[in-house]
Amino acid sequence: MNNSSQERIVKSYCRGCHGGCGVLVHVNDGRIVSIEGDPKFPTNRGSMCSKGLAAMQLVYHPDRITHPLKRVGKKGEGKWQPVSWDEALDTIAGKLRQVKAENGAESIVLGYGTGRNYEQFLYRFANLLGTPNVLTAGHECYGSRIAATAVTCGKLPVSDYDNNPACVMVWGNNVLWTNGDEEIGVKLSRAISNGAKLIVVDPRLTFLAGKADIWLQLRPGTDTALAFGMANVIINEKLYDKQFVDDYVYGWDRFVERVQVYPLDKVEKITGVPAETIRKAARLYAQSKPACIQWGVAIEQNINCIDNNRILTDLMAITGNLDVPGGSVFYVPPKIRTISEFAGHRYLPKEQAQKRLGGDTYRLANRIAVLTPKAVWDAIFTGKPYPVKAMLLHGTNPVITRANAKEVYRALQLVDFLVVTDLFLTPTAELADIVLPAATWLEFDDIGDYLFRHGYISARKKMVQIGECWSDHKIFSELGKRLGQEDFWRKDVEGDLDYILEPSGLTWKQFSEIGYLQGEMEYRKHEKKGFSTPTKKVELHSTILEELGYDPLPRYQETPESPISRPDMLELYPYILITGARIPVFFHTEYRMIPWLREIHPDPIVEIHPDVAKQHGIKDGDWIFIESPRGKVKQRARLTTGINPGVVAAQHGWWFPEITSPAHGWDISNINILTDNDPAGNDPMMGATNLRVLLCRIYPVVEDLQ
Amino acid sequence: MTEEYALIVKTADCIGCTACEVACKQEHDIPVGPRWIKVNTDPPKEIDGRLQLRYSVSHCLHCTNPGCLAVCPSNAIIKRNDGIVLIDPALCTGCQACVDGCPIGVMQFDKNKALAEKCDLCVARHDRGLNPACADACPAGCIYYGYTYEVFDKAGKPELLSIYKK
Repeated sequence: MNNSSQERIVKSYCRGCHGGCGVLVHVNDGRIVSIEGDPKFPTNRGSMCSKGLAAMQLVYHPDRITHPLKRVGKKGEGKWQPVSWDEALDTIAGKLRQVKAENGAESIVLGYGTGRNYEQFLYRFANLLGTPNVLTAGHECYGSRIAATAVTCGKLPVSDYDNNPACVMVWGNNVLWTNGDEEIGVKLSRAISNGAKLIVVDPRLTFLAGKADIWLQLRPGTDTALAFGMANVIINEKLYDKQFVDDYVYGWDRFVERVQVYPLDKVEKITGVPAETIRKAARLYAQSKPACIQWGVAIEQNINCIDNNRILTDLMAITGNLDVPGGSVFYVPPKIRTISEFAGHRYLPKEQAQKRLGGDTYRLANRIAVLTPKAVWDAIFTGKPYPVKAMLLHGTNPVITRANAKEVYRALQLVDFLVVTDLFLTPTAELADIVLPAATWLEFDDIGDYLFRHGYISARKKMVQIGECWSDHKIFSELGKRLGQEDFWRKDVEGDLDYILEPSGLTWKQFSEIGYLQGEMEYRKHEKKGFSTPTKKVELHSTILEELGYDPLPRYQETPESPISRPDMLELYPYILITGARIPVFFHTEYRMIPWLREIHPDPIVEIHPDVAKQHGIKDGDWIFIESPRGKVKQRARLTTGINPGVVAAQHGWWFPEITSPAHGWDISNINILTDNDPAGNDPMMGATNLRVLLCRIYPVVEDLQ
Repeated sequence: MTEEYALIVKTADCIGCTACEVACKQEHDIPVGPRWIKVNTDPPKEIDGRLQLRYSVSHCLHCTNPGCLAVCPSNAIIKRNDGIVLIDPALCTGCQACVDGCPIGVMQFDKNKALAEKCDLCVARHDRGLNPACADACPAGCIYYGYTYEVFDKAGKPELLSIYKK
C-alpha cells in the first residue's frame, strides 16, 4: 500500500461477524484501500480474521444491490426494476397500512438474521407498528442463552479471560474461528497461553480439542446428560462451593435429588464418554479457581436447548464461579439507554403482545419476544391462528438457515408481500416483491456491540457511500415516519444514536472521537443486591419456569431423531448427522461471493471417518449425497479420524452466488433441506429445532446422475 | 556479514483461521490464483499421546541458497544482503523454471500476468519498519518475523528443518 499524503486512517469497529474487533481503515481519495486490526484496541490488539480483512471486496463487490428494486416478473423469476427510495418506501408503507387495517398489525412479520447491532431499531419499528411477531434466530441461538440465564441467574454470564482463569471449559464452541457472541477467540487463546487448563466438549476434533487437557468426545446431542454427570461428581465428592450454595442458591435439595438421577455409569452409557474421563473433567473444572465455561450455539440447537444452558449455568454457580474475577461474570455496560428501552417493548399494546405466534406454546421464548419460525410458515399456509400477509426481512436468508428449508422456501413463495433488505440478491431476496439495498458496516455511523455483553460499546463509522445503499437503521426510521411513528424517531439516525448515548453525557460525535466506552466493572454484585431473579438467588429450581408450567429443574431428553430414540430408522439412515461446524472464512450464509474468501474454501465439506468412507467407496474430495427423510444434498467428503465412525459432520449456510439463476443453487448443498422442524421435537420452552442432531445416510454422487 | 531476515510459522500454535492468507492478498492486491502464503489442514495425528489437529503453512522461506534463483535463466531472482529473495517482474519471462526449482513447492505463478511471484517478506512494509501483513493480522501470534536467529529461537528450528527436508 502506498502511504500517499491523501491517505487518512479512520478508527472503526468491524462487523464481519457481529463485531468484536477494532480496525484501522485506510481511506484514500474517498476510497477504502486497506483494513487492518487496531493494535490499540483492547480485544483484538491488532489481530484480525479473514472475514474482516476481506471487507474491501464486500464493499466494492460488483453484485451489490445499489438501488431499491421492484419485482416486475413473476415471483422468483429474477426480473427487477430499480425504483427510487420514495417509491419503494411509499409502496411498503401503503401495503403495511392496508394489512394492518384489514388483518391487524400481527399479520405483518418482521425478521432479522444474525445479530448486526440494529435489532433495537427493528424491534422499535415493530413495537410501534403493533406487531408482536419478530422472526429471529433467537429461539435457538443466543436468545435462548439470554432466556435461560435470565430465569436462572438474572443475566448472561460471560467468560472473564482478562483475569486469568485457571481453567476454561469450552463446550460446543469453536470460538477461535467464530463470531464473538460474547468474547472473541483471541482472548481465550491468551488465557491458554497464560496457563489456563483446558477442557473441551465436542463430538469433533477441533484445534482446541486437540490441545485440551481433557477432551470429551461425546455422542452428539447428549451434552445435558454429560453436564449432569459432572454435577453428580461435584455434588457427591463435595467439590461445590458450600458457602455460595448456602447463601445464594435456591432449590438446592431438589437439584441434588435431580442430579442423583444421573450417576456416572448411566451418563457413560448415554454419552459414550468413559465415566473416569467425566470424573476427571468435573474435578478439574470444580477444583480450578477461578474457572469459566465458554459455550456456543451448538448445544442450543436441539430439544435440550434451555436445559442445556441451565445445567451449565448451574455448574458455574455451584462451583462459586459466578461473577468472580476470571470466572463467568456479568459485565457492566457503559451508562447508555438499554437495548430493551430503545426497542420500546412498552409501546406494544398488551392485547397485541398476547397474539405472538406460538406464544402460548413456547412461553419462555414469548417472555423475551422471540418466536419459532414454524409458527410463521404455518400461519402463511393455513391462515391460523391468523394469516401472515406481509414480511419484512433484514439481513437474513432463512431459505438457507432455517430448519426444513423446502418448507421455508414454499412459505416465502406464498406470502402475499415480501420485502427483503440485504447486500446481495440471495435466494431469499429473489423471492421478494421489493428488495432494499443495505449498507455494509463501512457505510454508516453506528454504536457497535450495543447488543452484546462484554461490557463495552464501540464507534463504527461511515467511510464511503455505495450507490443508494442505506443502513438498516435508517430504513426503519424512514419507514416508521411514513407509518405514524414521527414522534418516536429523531430527524436522522445520528439523532437516535445521540438519544441512546444520552445517559453517558456524550453525543454520537463525541463518542465517535473517543472510539469506545467501557462500563465500570464491579465483581460479586450479588453480595450487595443478590441475583436478578424472583428469589434474588441463583434458581437451580426456577420459579419462573414453574409459573410458566414447565419442569422447574433441568433434565436430559433424548433427541427425537437419534439411534436411541429411533432405532427403527437405522436400517435406512445409519449415521448421526451433525451440522454447522464453523468455517473460518464465512459467517453463516455470508461471503460465498467474496473472491479472497471463496478461494480458501471453495466447496461445502462433509467430514466422515475413513473406515466409513471405505465401506461406501468414498475417497477424500469426492462429492457425496447426504440424505435424511426430508431430502438430500451433496457436499464434498473430507476423511478424518477426528470424528467417530458413526457420525457425519456437514457444513451449513451453502448457496452458490456464482449460479446466476434466481435460485442460486439454494437446494444443492443446503443442509437445512435435511433438518426437521416438527414441533413435537422442538425444545418445549423455546421452540429450538434439532439442527444439530439427526439421522442420515450417505453415498457417492454418481457422475452421470449429477 | 549482514544478518538475514526470516519469517517462520510456529505451526503447533496455528489455529487454521487463514487470516494470514487474506492479509497477504490485501497487502499485495493479489487476485484469485497465486497464494503467497497458504494454510493447509493436515490429517489429525497423535502428538504427545493424543489426537491433535494441526495446520501446515506454506510460504517462501527465503532460503540461504535459493533453488529458484539457481535455475532462473533470466536472472530475475535476487537475494538481497538482508536475506530477502525477490523476483524482478521486468526480468521474469514466465518460463516457470523457478516453479520446478523451488525445493518446497511454494513458487506461485500468476497465469494472467504470466509471471512468477511469491512472498516478498513485505519489503515495502519492512522498509517502513513494519512487520509483514500476515504476522500483524495473525490472531494466534504464531507468525514470527525478524533476524533468523531470533525467529529460530521463538518458532523452533527443528520444525523449520523438517519443512526444508520436504
